[in-house]
Amino acid sequence: MSTPYYIPETNVPLPPKGAEVITTACDYCIVACGYKVYRWPVAGGHDGGPKAEQNAFGADFPVETLGPWVAPNQHNIVLHNGEPNHVVIIPDKDTKFVNTDGDSSLRGGCIAQKCYNPQTPTRDRLKSPMMRIYGILQPVPWDFALDVAAEVGNYVRTKHGVNAYGVKTYSYQYIENTYAITKYALRHVNTANFTFHDTPSDVSSTPGFRDAGFDNFGPAYEDWMNAETLLVCGTDPYETKTILWTQWIMKGIQNGQKCIMMNPRRTAGVAYAEKNGGLWLDVNLGTDLLVVNAIARIIAENGWQDADWIKNWVNNKWGSSSGFGQGTRNTPWQWRTTWGKFQTNGYDDWKKWLLSRDEFKPENAAQVAGIDVKKIYTAAEWMAKPKGGKRPKTSIMIEKGFYWSNNTGNTMAISALAIIVGAGGRPGQVVGRAGGHQRGGQRGGKYPRNKSPMKVPGRRRRALDTDTWTMSGHTRFAHVIGTTWIQSMCGSQQLAKKFEEMTVANPHQIRSYDKQDIIDTLKRRADSGGMVVINQDIYLVDPIGNRYADIIFPAATWGEETFMRANGERRLRVYNKFYDAPGEARPDWWIIAELAKRMGFDGFDWKNSNDVAEESARFSRGSRKDFNMIKVAARREGKTLHQKLGEFGTNGIQGPVFMKDDGTLVGTKRLHDTTRKLPETGPAAGNVFNKKLTHFNSQTGRCNIEKSPWSLFSDYWEWMKPKGNELWCTSGRTNERWQSGFDDRRRPYVVQRWPDNYVEMHPDDAKERGIESGDMLMVYSDRVPNLKETILGVEGSDYSFSGQMKAGNVELTRAAVTGVAMVTRHIKKGIIFMDFLHTSQPANALEGRVVDWISGNYNYKMGVAKVKKIGVSPYKNTFRSMSFAPRDIT
Amino acid sequence: MNKHIQKKPESGVRSLPSKKDHPAGKCLMSRRKMLFASGMATATVMVAMSADPAAAKVPAMVATYPRKKIAKLSELKTDQPIGFEYPDQGAYAQSMLVKMGTEAGGGIGPQKDVVAFNYFCTHQGGDLSGTYKGDTKSLGACPLHLSTYDLTRHGILISGQAYQSLPQVLLELDGDDIYAVGVFGLIFGRYDNLQG
Repeated sequence: MSTPYYIPETNVPLPPKGAEVITTACDYCIVACGYKVYRWPVAGGHDGGPKAEQNAFGADFPVETLGPWVAPNQHNIVLHNGEPNHVVIIPDKDTKFVNTDGDSSLRGGCIAQKCYNPQTPTRDRLKSPMMRIYGILQPVPWDFALDVAAEVGNYVRTKHGVNAYGVKTYSYQYIENTYAITKYALRHVNTANFTFHDTPSDVSSTPGFRDAGFDNFGPAYEDWMNAETLLVCGTDPYETKTILWTQWIMKGIQNGQKCIMMNPRRTAGVAYAEKNGGLWLDVNLGTDLLVVNAIARIIAENGWQDADWIKNWVNNKWGSSSGFGQGTRNTPWQWRTTWGKFQTNGYDDWKKWLLSRDEFKPENAAQVAGIDVKKIYTAAEWMAKPKGGKRPKTSIMIEKGFYWSNNTGNTMAISALAIIVGAGGRPGQVVGRAGGHQRGGQRGGKYPRNKSPMKVPGRRRRALDTDTWTMSGHTRFAHVIGTTWIQSMCGSQQLAKKFEEMTVANPHQIRSYDKQDIIDTLKRRADSGGMVVINQDIYLVDPIGNRYADIIFPAATWGEETFMRANGERRLRVYNKFYDAPGEARPDWWIIAELAKRMGFDGFDWKNSNDVAEESARFSRGSRKDFNMIKVAARREGKTLHQKLGEFGTNGIQGPVFMKDDGTLVGTKRLHDTTRKLPETGPAAGNVFNKKLTHFNSQTGRCNIEKSPWSLFSDYWEWMKPKGNELWCTSGRTNERWQSGFDDRRRPYVVQRWPDNYVEMHPDDAKERGIESGDMLMVYSDRVPNLKETILGVEGSDYSFSGQMKAGNVELTRAAVTGVAMVTRHIKKGIIFMDFLHTSQPANALEGRVVDWISGNYNYKMGVAKVKKIGVSPYKNTFRSMSFAPRDIT
Repeated sequence: MNKHIQKKPESGVRSLPSKKDHPAGKCLMSRRKMLFASGMATATVMVAMSADPAAAKVPAMVATYPRKKIAKLSELKTDQPIGFEYPDQGAYAQSMLVKMGTEAGGGIGPQKDVVAFNYFCTHQGGDLSGTYKGDTKSLGACPLHLSTYDLTRHGILISGQAYQSLPQVLLELDGDDIYAVGVFGLIFGRYDNLQG
């Protein structure tokens, strides 16, 4: 615990006329605002002046409102080609898309503070490979670290099988890196013990979208503005996706959009929506499905459904069944619908099911969800009731609070609601995810599904659950790239215990100066049932790197290498290198290539990141961010892929990208665009046209309308719901700290604002427990459910929560996390909310490590906890740090 | 977006700040030259960042600011802000003084509840006048992008987008007279608080 203080500057150097200008986009959230880096040498002292002709902005100071002001947090000093240079990094005031008006969040706005500078808290960036010798991480040369890792890794996969080699990696830190990592892990190591940072197994985040035929990121940002009614589920886009809110949705609301927010917290965006005629659906955790289906029921009963749309774009009995009986049931849609629990014969069949279920009667749903039933009727009217013979243009946005509460059920239910209101395939009438991190994944290999032992009767294999696999002791070599692994998963304190047991508590520790001796020791560790951990990251992360890793590889990141990535409307941009990476840090693609070559794999002889990008281009064909034709254009023009995409600057281009006959490139505003006219002559040259451009991602190109039974989830919900003096316990993020937590601990201003994890609590709940804002709390539980074994069951129903309980595969464990009380009116009574990934106070420890039995995802946002005061935090009675003011001030 | 800027009740009609509102740069430059000539361009002062009398004072580098009388303590009414301009009459000098009835960081007076802040959002320069809320002791939401600031805690961002806290105008009490004596944090639009 600390009581940091922060002393603000009262002046800032301005970039001189002639300063170099480099375009990039923000490193953090899905929105990826466009930025400009102004760089000039420290030597010579040639700073800019306040007159337009004296500075790089061509603006007189003081600048006008919305002008190119430079806050002191937007300036830093970095090394460029070994020489100190000033950098000023501000949102691009000229960009035409995304952050129009030159807007930015606090996070991106202060991204200059991210750059390594030994005079700032970024001084703890990893600068050298390290190896844990005699219990201490000590710097070693790259060759030494790589040789040991490669030989031990090769040994483990041959001796213990490829699934003993586990790879847990970010999915988004730039196309070049994710391509290299997946090429290595999936194509070459070929392990099924592989997953991304936010899920225990490599599965779809939104099973219902996938089954209905919706891409997660089909919509364009302008669609969210142009909707007349917008339902936002499980997020406040002002808190997360800030600029999508301020530049798009907020402008829609100002034009009369009815914005409905389903979320137990009344944060600033919700308050703004309500103040401007919107609606707050303040649901209890995990009850979204009931409310969504109650809204759908009102629409169906009143005949407000979009009948024309349903007729043209929804599968009937024949469409719904097409594809069955043809070979193995190996598509996700068929796999799920063969349960017989979801598939329908079309709208009428779905409606019949919906009306037959009493739990979806608005009064019943409202009671369980804890909301005023009138709000359900209002939402239904706004979303679907025709006015003057005209339907409202309705769109639906979802995010983690929603799809990580009842992963399969909620996404199934919302897809059906979207379908009946006609959302999904027209301008201003869309459905999609709001998004979390940016979209920088490009697969360089196929997931080896047949190597996964996870098989539920009658269905295809499910991707391996890396957490239960590791808990069972099967992971002998953990290769962890750019994620905490432990705190970002559920039941994290049990995971940490297992990591401890398999690494530092194993008797085979490096106590030698000899390379071969070190290698032999680590092999013995793996043979004895222990685990060797290698960790690639930009900081030393506790505990995965700091306590458990045997070898650390320091990674270079944003601004330190030229990369490509897409945002939440599939907008591809180049993120240019503008300064030197610290010490010996190297980009992840380079680290992977060096490791792969030492393991004897071919195809890793890249010279620079553009080489990797160009190789990956053809694997993007047909995907939502297909950038292959940019490479084709680049080749034609004698340029590199990075150069060609770089010509689009901060505006970028939306994937999939196509080439016109004249050789120019054209992007894709939205997917599933039923109004889009493709050339009648079909795709020419290397262009790929597929279903997702003008139709949906289903077996027929039309949507599947599916049932979403509450009963598949209600056993878990009933078991989980608060008993005695427990409260619902959920987690998430705030505007000031979102998708940026790894850097935020090094930003004095953000640390001043959010020094410790916090526990938002309703005043009534606080009063009952004698708690005031600023008190230090213990948040704890003695019934955190954890799956013990990877798989335990015979019949399909054995895999439900009740079935797993009955089989004795659920262990109830304890967890405890501290936090600072924030008693506030903006959270619903009966619920507490914490930052989801404060690494030293990990809220996920309190959430059940039980996967959604149909999808394989965790329901991270739905746990319970008890709360008690253990003392007073330093923030209660001093004024330097934190604020306990509510987040709903309008 | 500009049409959404709220009107400032206590100061009547005022347009958005623009370059022409700023006094001639020449005037400021001559003052600066004068200050350099007298060797008093900057000075280190001790600033109390905590109302806890036992708390250590922390050093802060601030430029030399004018000492300007802005109000009488006895005339302040709880939760009724008054406007003033500081450190000059230039763009973005509009500020507010308020007695909040609640102890605050940097507060003066017997209850340590009198504070003063610049009125311009440190995100993109939105005008916060007219947004003071007595129940939460806050300024905002900014009409441009909804940032809110906690005036009990040195103007720290409550929720939103700003790149730093709202600049706090440092106060001194002399008998019943309240003087503005400095600014903590860079004022929006300027590259230096005293030079524009």
